[in-house]
Amino acid sequence: MRVARRYAVPGVLVRRYAVPGMLVAVPVLLALVGPVIASDDTTKDVAFVLGGGHWFGTDFVGRDVWNEVLLGGRSLVVVAVVATVCTYLIAVPVGLVAGMTRNRLLDEAVMRPLDLLLAVPSMLMLLLLASVAPGIPWVLIGVVVLINLPDVVRISRAAALSVSARPAVEAMRLQGESRIRIGLGYVARAMRRTLAADLGTRFTGAIYLVASASFLGVGVSPQTSDWAAMVDRNRTGLFVQPWAVVLPALLIVMLSIGVNLAFDRWLRDRAMEGVAR
Amino acid sequence: MTLPSYVARRTLLGVIQVPLVMCGVFFLAEALPGDAAVTIAGDNPDPAIIAVLRERLGLNEPAWHRLGDWLAAALHGDFGQSLVGPRSVVDIIASAAGPTLLLAGLTLVLLIPLSVGLGVLAANREGSRLDRLITSTTLGLYSAPEFAMGLLIVTVFAVQLRWLPPTAVGTSLLSNPAVLVIPVFVLLLRPICSLSRLIRAGMIDAQRSEYVRHVRRIGLSPTRVRFAHALPNAVTPAIQQLARTIDWLVGGVIVIEAIFVVPGLGTTLVQAVAARDLPVIQGLAVVFATTTVLVNLAADVAARVLSPTAEAGR
Repeated sequence: MRVARRYAVPGVLVRRYAVPGMLVAVPVLLALVGPVIASDDTTKDVAFVLGGGHWFGTDFVGRDVWNEVLLGGRSLVVVAVVATVCTYLIAVPVGLVAGMTRNRLLDEAVMRPLDLLLAVPSMLMLLLLASVAPGIPWVLIGVVVLINLPDVVRISRAAALSVSARPAVEAMRLQGESRIRIGLGYVARAMRRTLAADLGTRFTGAIYLVASASFLGVGVSPQTSDWAAMVDRNRTGLFVQPWAVVLPALLIVMLSIGVNLAFDRWLRDRAMEGVAR
Repeated sequence: MTLPSYVARRTLLGVIQVPLVMCGVFFLAEALPGDAAVTIAGDNPDPAIIAVLRERLGLNEPAWHRLGDWLAAALHGDFGQSLVGPRSVVDIIASAAGPTLLLAGLTLVLLIPLSVGLGVLAANREGSRLDRLITSTTLGLYSAPEFAMGLLIVTVFAVQLRWLPPTAVGTSLLSNPAVLVIPVFVLLLRPICSLSRLIRAGMIDAQRSEYVRHVRRIGLSPTRVRFAHALPNAVTPAIQQLARTIDWLVGGVIVIEAIFVVPGLGTTLVQAVAARDLPVIQGLAVVFATTTVLVNLAADVAARVLSPTAEAGR
């Protein structure tokens, strides 16, 4: 980014990020601003009507589709963001400890159970765990964290391992710096680049899991408005009133494509910055 | 580490993984509110009936005892009886496996040639318009959820254009193959994107490497250089990714079966979760977990055989 700013005219930056930016901005703005501007008027009309005073018709119980779209994005975006943040908050310290310790046993004790988690297909884990306590967003967040945990712990362990083999770390150790200071002050800071490179994959993965789970009826209570749940509930009226399905499905696809493209552009700009230095 | 000892170590890990996952599933089922007796008693939960059912099902015995019994029976291929119907779990799984195997098998058969083709095509014209089109499309679609893509495609091609049937209701998959077109296409999207990107990157690396330049200098034909020398090396990272694909495929199949009303393992699982049919959930979990472990094992070993210098797997 720094190089892009220094060498490129702003127009280039705008052009590079215009498509991914738009793809992300539309669903995110709708998700965050939508609940504020949505009307409280919940009078029900006839189900699956096209037109009739509604921009995009009505849904399976006769609610206004546009109003439901305004209300239904927040859960997806917020749950995905919270789940991603929680994954890093747990995985990075664990990976740091496993990578920095010279105790082989501790390393194995941390890493082997994670291999076990990898043997369980993620959608299976989602369905199993969510059946324990359906309809609560926190359970959904917990499951997404659990699914992403092994990968992020592995990546941070590998990064910590390679950083702590550097001569600088050895020197600090000889000078009698405490392990915590070396870990937080040097190794964790040096790991930032590797972790940032992985962030996009984790976030799109979280969006994917949260949306798919809500579609299968996991983690959303029947009253809440949610894009993925809208797609599921309005499927029966696909032939009569496709908007109630198409609109939320399109927004979910836009969001995941946009986030992916934006992170890829950003990583490439950063790689060029690395070359330029 | 020599190849046989690597295979032995990897197999041992797999052999440990499966029973541990089985124990995990068992205790998870224990944590579910209510038990088999409550589920069978249904809408009319008379405490006396529930107590009798508990006694008959052996639910009053300690958990570890029942776990032992369940594992021992599972070893003999007996996963018990469904709680909501008269059928045995093995019977239910066996009859639902057909459509799922058909979907997953067809996807895998088409996946490999298509993603190798796309990856090689993009790598050969690196930097061209076609390459940019392929790379940005595969990057974008790589993370789009199957249910959203699937329903958008159904809306366009089945509802508006009426080219293809929207669901598999009322027909068998084999007698009416048109039913399979959209589900297989949607299942293919995500794995094709990730695999073709890996193959493209691997091909570009290989084409620039010293050994490929050497065989080119010897005068081998470009086609031979590309497919007999560059491609095998480009495929190794893709094989590892193929193992991750099985995880996506399980998830994708669950969602796709729900959309297209295919009576397969995914639909069975969603129904069993909704009905709290624990023996069926446990049986399916074992089937899915074992498949994942086996595929991971095969992929790690294959990657190790193909490129012995790389530290394959863990």
